[in-house]
Amino acid sequence: MKEIIIQNEKLVLLPQKAIYWEKEEALLIADLHLGKIAHFRKYGIALPPQSEDKNWATLSRLIRKWKPKKLIILGDLFHSQYNDQWENFVDMTDRYSDVEWILVKGNHDVLRDNHYHRSNLKIYPYALQMSPFLLTHEPDEIFEGLYTLCGHIHPGIRMKGSGRQSLRLPCFFFGTKVGILPAFGVFTGLHVLHPEQEDKVYLIAEEQVVPISI
Amino acid sequence: MTSIKENITLISDWFSKSGWKAHPFQKKAWKYQLNGYSGIVNAPTGSGKTFSVMLPIFAPYIENKETPEGLQLIWISPIRALAKEISLSAEKAIAAYGLNWKVGIRTGDTTTVERQKQIKNPPQIMITTPESLHIIMSSRKSKVIFDSCQVVVVDEWHELIGSKRGVQTELFLSCMRGKHPELKTWGISATIGNLPEALDVLLGPGQDDKRILIKANINKKILVKTIMPDEIERYPWSGHLGILLLDKVVPIIQSASSTLIFTNTRAQCEIWYQKLLEYDPSLAGIMAMHHGSISKDMRAWVEQALYDGKLKAVVCTSSLDLGVDFRPVENIVQVGSPKGVARFVQRAGRSGHSPGATSKIYFLPTNSLELIESSALRKAIKEKRIEDRTPFVRSWDVLIQYMMTRAVGGGFKDVELYEELIKTFCYSSMTKDEWSLLLNYILYGSQSLRAYDEYHKIGKTKDGIYLVNNRGVAQRHRLSIGTIVSDAMLQVKFVRGKKIGTVEEWFVAQFSPGDNFWFAGMSLEYVRIKDNFLEVRKSKKKSGKIPSYMGGRLSFTSQMSEVLKEKIYEYGRGEIKDVEMKKLIPLFEMQELRSRMPREEEVLVEYFHSSEGFHLLMYPFEGRNVHEGMAALLGQRLSKLLPISFSLAYNDFGFELLSDKQIDVDKILTKELFNPRNLEQDIQASINSVEIAQRKFRDIACISGLVFTGYPGKEKRQKHLTSNSRLIFDVFREYEPDNLLYLQTYDEVMAVELQEDRIYTALERIRNKKIVITKPEKYTPFSFPIMVDRLREKMSSETLLDRIEKMKVELVK
Repeated sequence: MKEIIIQNEKLVLLPQKAIYWEKEEALLIADLHLGKIAHFRKYGIALPPQSEDKNWATLSRLIRKWKPKKLIILGDLFHSQYNDQWENFVDMTDRYSDVEWILVKGNHDVLRDNHYHRSNLKIYPYALQMSPFLLTHEPDEIFEGLYTLCGHIHPGIRMKGSGRQSLRLPCFFFGTKVGILPAFGVFTGLHVLHPEQEDKVYLIAEEQVVPISI
Repeated sequence: MTSIKENITLISDWFSKSGWKAHPFQKKAWKYQLNGYSGIVNAPTGSGKTFSVMLPIFAPYIENKETPEGLQLIWISPIRALAKEISLSAEKAIAAYGLNWKVGIRTGDTTTVERQKQIKNPPQIMITTPESLHIIMSSRKSKVIFDSCQVVVVDEWHELIGSKRGVQTELFLSCMRGKHPELKTWGISATIGNLPEALDVLLGPGQDDKRILIKANINKKILVKTIMPDEIERYPWSGHLGILLLDKVVPIIQSASSTLIFTNTRAQCEIWYQKLLEYDPSLAGIMAMHHGSISKDMRAWVEQALYDGKLKAVVCTSSLDLGVDFRPVENIVQVGSPKGVARFVQRAGRSGHSPGATSKIYFLPTNSLELIESSALRKAIKEKRIEDRTPFVRSWDVLIQYMMTRAVGGGFKDVELYEELIKTFCYSSMTKDEWSLLLNYILYGSQSLRAYDEYHKIGKTKDGIYLVNNRGVAQRHRLSIGTIVSDAMLQVKFVRGKKIGTVEEWFVAQFSPGDNFWFAGMSLEYVRIKDNFLEVRKSKKKSGKIPSYMGGRLSFTSQMSEVLKEKIYEYGRGEIKDVEMKKLIPLFEMQELRSRMPREEEVLVEYFHSSEGFHLLMYPFEGRNVHEGMAALLGQRLSKLLPISFSLAYNDFGFELLSDKQIDVDKILTKELFNPRNLEQDIQASINSVEIAQRKFRDIACISGLVFTGYPGKEKRQKHLTSNSRLIFDVFREYEPDNLLYLQTYDEVMAVELQEDRIYTALERIRNKKIVITKPEKYTPFSFPIMVDRLREKMSSETLLDRIEKMKVELVK
């Protein structure tokens, strides 16, 4: 857990790959890719079905711990086509109905509308403005005067040490105009970023958020 | 009914009419096969091994010139290129006996039309590969084809046995025997150390007594010559290229009608080709290059030209180890250490093909100490010390693929398949529990039963038949049959024109358009990447990168390290006789002066200080892989005794632990450190076995169908189903660590990568020897090549967070 100030707002970076925005009492999460394991399994690729459970467990633990008023999903909530994991999600929005569930749609959010309607989700197709932030899925949405918070990239960092040591780890990334959240879901992969001097990077390792000097 | 004796007469009639004399081993093989035996014929190439196992199938049909209905003989060949040659031999025999049989070739190159014809109207003899047989098994019509078959021949069995293609062969045979217990199986094998075991793998562990190993006892003469550096004092102590001796290779090329120059890596092959052309431009047009990344068409052209005697020299890699005999080849040059006796003998055998001719091989050392290998190899050949080929066991990945194949090809029953499988060598130790985990895995997509989800691949009928009914699933499976997994590759082609070959994606990633690189002997300019193609044009620039390839780091085999040790101990006994060893005496004397030449009853340890830190070197002479494990083990055990971190380096002679702290070696280096107890745990704790396993898992994931590599030729792969094997490995590690595929990964790392058995033996040996510690003032001839090795691993017992603390973010790519 690490507190940082962006645009005079206090954000808490959580090792569960989420941000708690104190003033709004909102949890921000990106790239859940729920149902991805089930999607692969549906096509005959036998990944361990238990791995899907981790997403659900982490999500409810976060809600219980932080009791957010809003839960804002920065895109890629569900992985492609419908499968029965969606019903788990619908159940969850019912169970925590005092939370305001918000989805800013991402490129993978392609379910038919009736599925979304059955859940308690409030949907923003492109972006949600909550000053001083613009909440989007992809990082190239920039609005004058707002700081963009987004997902999509699945940011990661490669660390190199002497003697051929190398590590790839997920991270939070904050540039001058855009901040990127790590992908929340299991089985989502990493895209290695190459930060510049003015960027701020926080690694996630062993259930901890670790600031990295560049 | 003709007797066996009459049958043999019928077969050999053709031989006597043609003025040939059947070799005793051929007659023996005919007799046993006609008697219903299965077995292995151990004979070198060019000795008539093909006919020794092929001809008995004809015997009952010769007298009345009959053509039996359906397939009679399946001939499995690991190499597609040999199929044509075998087919010609079969046709020759058919013509000689006046028969009207058909011969068909079925490989990956066979057209769809031809395949369908083969199913409708099977030839009597089919020449094919293990992969193609599994593809046929995945067809519901396979029963029709295989049912009439009497004999299966497995050619070049020594090539298959040490690979997962060998497991595929075992599985095919077990399926055939399940239906036809009277099936005869004959293997043909070159000499390997474990021939009796090879027989067990081919036929299943000793189930009947109708099996025999027939040795041809034909000795092919091999002449080993060494290309000597003029002054050993000036020849480098390290290096792997050998270009300094290039001027001595040119006369060898000129003295013979054709010469093959074997290099150990594709990069080395490119460099040698280039440098030879620079040195002697008259070779242009009569010298070619051959390696696995060059396009199939170009390789086929080189092979044909070599066969026709149009090429004076070919610079090649292991890509020419096997295949059709090239009669014009008179000389072989081996550049650098072949790392094993069998490989050296195999390569030597590519020359001198006329009957009775001697194979001639020149060994070119790429550094001084490699001269010892030349003399060691000669000794090994003389004493016939050839390596074992270790068969794979309990390869669950191949089994899962095979279960799918059977489920696609008409289905299988639980108990029936289990009975077939436990008769194979590979799966003879499979327990009922493991079997039910596997069944669960393919049926429910998970070893542990859980509530129904949408996983669906295979169904189970009321009669208990495991079956695939979905056409999409079946088609995807057929496309992924096989056990050879290659790196992600890009095809290289000219902007407008033909394909030149393939390079690894990671090599291309280092370039941007306009850059220059050497490939297939040409200087090429990178134009762009389009779809799956790297488009290039010819360039006039002389400089440029040369693709380096993974996998060039072979390790000494155990036979090789044994003879090498014997050679090194000759110094201590004062028994140096060979010309190579005599040449090395000044170097040995320097080693003895600065440190010590190890004697038979000793293990040498050197400890000294340099600007880099404190070097601890040890020389077990057991081969690179074994040293990798030993170095990690020793480092781990030392760091338990005192806080210290090491950087590790190793080669085939020994290994080094380098550290910034001084230690009291005389006190601390006890024999207890080499105790083989807890070997497995200590090794797994010491090297980053997770990282090695992650790499190894890629093959297993591809073979078992966890990674679908896409439809061939389709540019757009099924993106939504592609994922990398690293991610899959991580989910298994976290959520299903008892999965058989996941566990198999670690077994393979221990057995194949690190060779646990050999580490164990090596430790036992050290415990029985005297540890001699010397403290040289500076590097020695033995230590220098290890110290300059760029590929170092660091080992550390620090936590992940501590490690991150010390590491730096990679800012630029």
